[in-house]
Amino acid sequence: MDFELDDEQVELRRVVRDVAERECPAALVRAVVGGSDDGSGLWKTFVELDWPSLTVPAGDGGMGMSAVELVITLEELGRVADPTPFLATTSQYVAVLRECAGPDGRAPLLAAVCAGGTGAAAFAAGAAQARSDGDGWLLGGRARHVIDGDRADEIAVVAATEAGAGAFVVPVGDVAVTREPTFDGSFHLATVDLDGVRVAGDRAFTGPGVEAGVERARQEAVTGLAAVMVGASQRVLDTVVAHVKERRQFGVPIGSFQAVKHMAVDVYVAIERARALCHFAALTIAEDDPRRELAASLAKTAAGDCQRIAAQHGVQLFGGLGFTWENDLQIYLRRAKVGEPLLGSTTEHRARAARLVLAGHAATEVDG
Amino acid sequence: MRLSFDDATEAFRREFVAWLADNMPDAATATSERARSSAYIPPWARLWQRKLFDAGWLVPGNPPEFGGRNASLVEQFVHQEEMGRHKIYPSYNPQGLSIIVPSILAFGTEEQKRRWAVPILRAEITAALGMSEPDAGSDLAGLRTRAVLDGDRFVVNGQKVWTSGAHDADVILAFVRTDPGAAKHRGISALVIPTDSPGLTRRPFGSIVSPDERDFNEVFFDDVAVPKENLIGDLHDGWRVATGSLGHERAMLWLGFAERLDDLIVHGGAALAEQRLAGDALVLDWFGNLAVDAYALRLLGYRTLAKARRGVEATEQSILKLLGSEAVQDATLHMMEALGPDGLDPDRRSAPLDPLHYEAYTASWWERYLRSFAGTIAGGTSQIQRNIIAERVLGLPR
Repeated sequence: MDFELDDEQVELRRVVRDVAERECPAALVRAVVGGSDDGSGLWKTFVELDWPSLTVPAGDGGMGMSAVELVITLEELGRVADPTPFLATTSQYVAVLRECAGPDGRAPLLAAVCAGGTGAAAFAAGAAQARSDGDGWLLGGRARHVIDGDRADEIAVVAATEAGAGAFVVPVGDVAVTREPTFDGSFHLATVDLDGVRVAGDRAFTGPGVEAGVERARQEAVTGLAAVMVGASQRVLDTVVAHVKERRQFGVPIGSFQAVKHMAVDVYVAIERARALCHFAALTIAEDDPRRELAASLAKTAAGDCQRIAAQHGVQLFGGLGFTWENDLQIYLRRAKVGEPLLGSTTEHRARAARLVLAGHAATEVDG
Repeated sequence: MRLSFDDATEAFRREFVAWLADNMPDAATATSERARSSAYIPPWARLWQRKLFDAGWLVPGNPPEFGGRNASLVEQFVHQEEMGRHKIYPSYNPQGLSIIVPSILAFGTEEQKRRWAVPILRAEITAALGMSEPDAGSDLAGLRTRAVLDGDRFVVNGQKVWTSGAHDADVILAFVRTDPGAAKHRGISALVIPTDSPGLTRRPFGSIVSPDERDFNEVFFDDVAVPKENLIGDLHDGWRVATGSLGHERAMLWLGFAERLDDLIVHGGAALAEQRLAGDALVLDWFGNLAVDAYALRLLGYRTLAKARRGVEATEQSILKLLGSEAVQDATLHMMEALGPDGLDPDRRSAPLDPLHYEAYTASWWERYLRSFAGTIAGGTSQIQRNIIAERVLGLPR
């Protein structure tokens, strides 16, 4: 059992961190929130680096890397509150195509991603339906809280059919989308109205194995979102630790007080716990281990716990200085929190993990 | 990153598991006499420990003359993992095997190794650890038991406390102040003190679990003469021995917590199912947390192991101990409360007895909850662990 990043993964993390810190400073995120930038310049940089194709199979023109590399990258982008559609494109749209579409069907769609196209996924089997209509399909229903659903080029809609869930890839121009307001102004969520939308046969993926593929893609999406939350929480902790080392009261740095230290440590341990589980979830996806469903829920639960304590203690330890718009804390705090209710809340995933563990009385030995 | 150990490690595991299958004591033998303190080894357990020693399975990382086979760190880990899975201990004098012997092997002379380390390893004698004092707990370096060199012997005066198993032990590895004028970390020495020395008094006392549970001791030294050759390491250099000893204690301590958490999942799962509580939304919320903690601890532990294998000193022991001990405490408290009035009965076992395991691990939920404080207090309290992490990992000022 080797649970350390290998040299190439450490190098990938270093490169992503360097680029992310340089190209995505707080000022850029503020500009996006304020409406004077749309993040497209940053996206262009990512495309030049081939990052959107990170987990596109090599046979489809991508870098063919695993979920572990994806999670490493997403954590770093979470750390800078990346305002681009990278999360949805890589951990959701590409995942659905890779897991649900055959080689011929996915080739042109994945080629578009490699060329800089963006995508989102609507995991909406409960709220959206599809029925066969001539040589295509007709969609109905409404998908809510779709990450980047308002601005991605394509949306992979997971909808219920008579024979289980199917995946239907729709150009965003074909559907009515409404951006949903959230407290994180650089994060996009949308409601997608699907009534009467027609999907051509070569963009519809149904039949045996697709429902299982959707579930696998969902696990990847959950893990990716958890990684973003961990990265943003880490940034909150970094910001707070720097502050309590500098800020002096009663003649000493406030970081020398045990009450302050212990709060910071509790955030740190929560982040370590969540990061370990994100890596585990990614590894179970990469190795297609049967614990991947459990692992994704464990990761999302632990990420939910860590953002909660990071935000709580983060603001508290900054005192009045953390209660301002000027302080960058609020940027990363928002990004850490925005993922909590999406793709299943902390409470939902915690109960799901508990049920899975109780059903199997699963021991945690990782080597089986 | 990979989810499994390599083939050579798995082959090592298979070899040990096969040996266990042929050599483990049977349940009836083990239930015939229980280990009553951490320095009392029942006759069957002495035979068992001797068998392990002779086969090189007692401390696999040691060379053969000290009960091992020069196994690698990962192999030592797998050995410990299998001991845990089989619910058996290499020695029922854990402080002797895991703290005192490694200290003597690391700092002692050849004569001292022959005289104390080998007999402890072979279960011929048992040993207790004399560190804490009434006024030196977390601040161990503040210890005040005095040893004055007088010709070829030390004269020891003072008091130790919490000395587990001292009343059953043959020797105590005691940390004493030999240079009261030096800075507090610099004036300490380590002595092996036979418990039958004149002037040495042991007074066992009950724990929070029961007045009849006698493991902790007060140990009083009243002009106790200790031969000079019982000094382990250099004079006044005992702090290095002490921190080395605790290093031995802590290196794989997390695995014990990981095993406790796995036990809690299994025992708790069964008890909740019996009470028809396994689907209760409130139960699922904390039980899911137990699952998160159990997996996270093991994964972080594996990472620490990988680092140690590369020779990187891990600052993570504190994280593992903090996370593991608090998770065990949290889950046992939840279990006790989930059972409602049934959780009040102190004699109602939480799980069937494992004959080779300490009874405490299947005792009532109440007792398991109480014992969880051993994890959050002994070996550095949770508060001390938080201080260590804050200062050494986060770099906050002292």
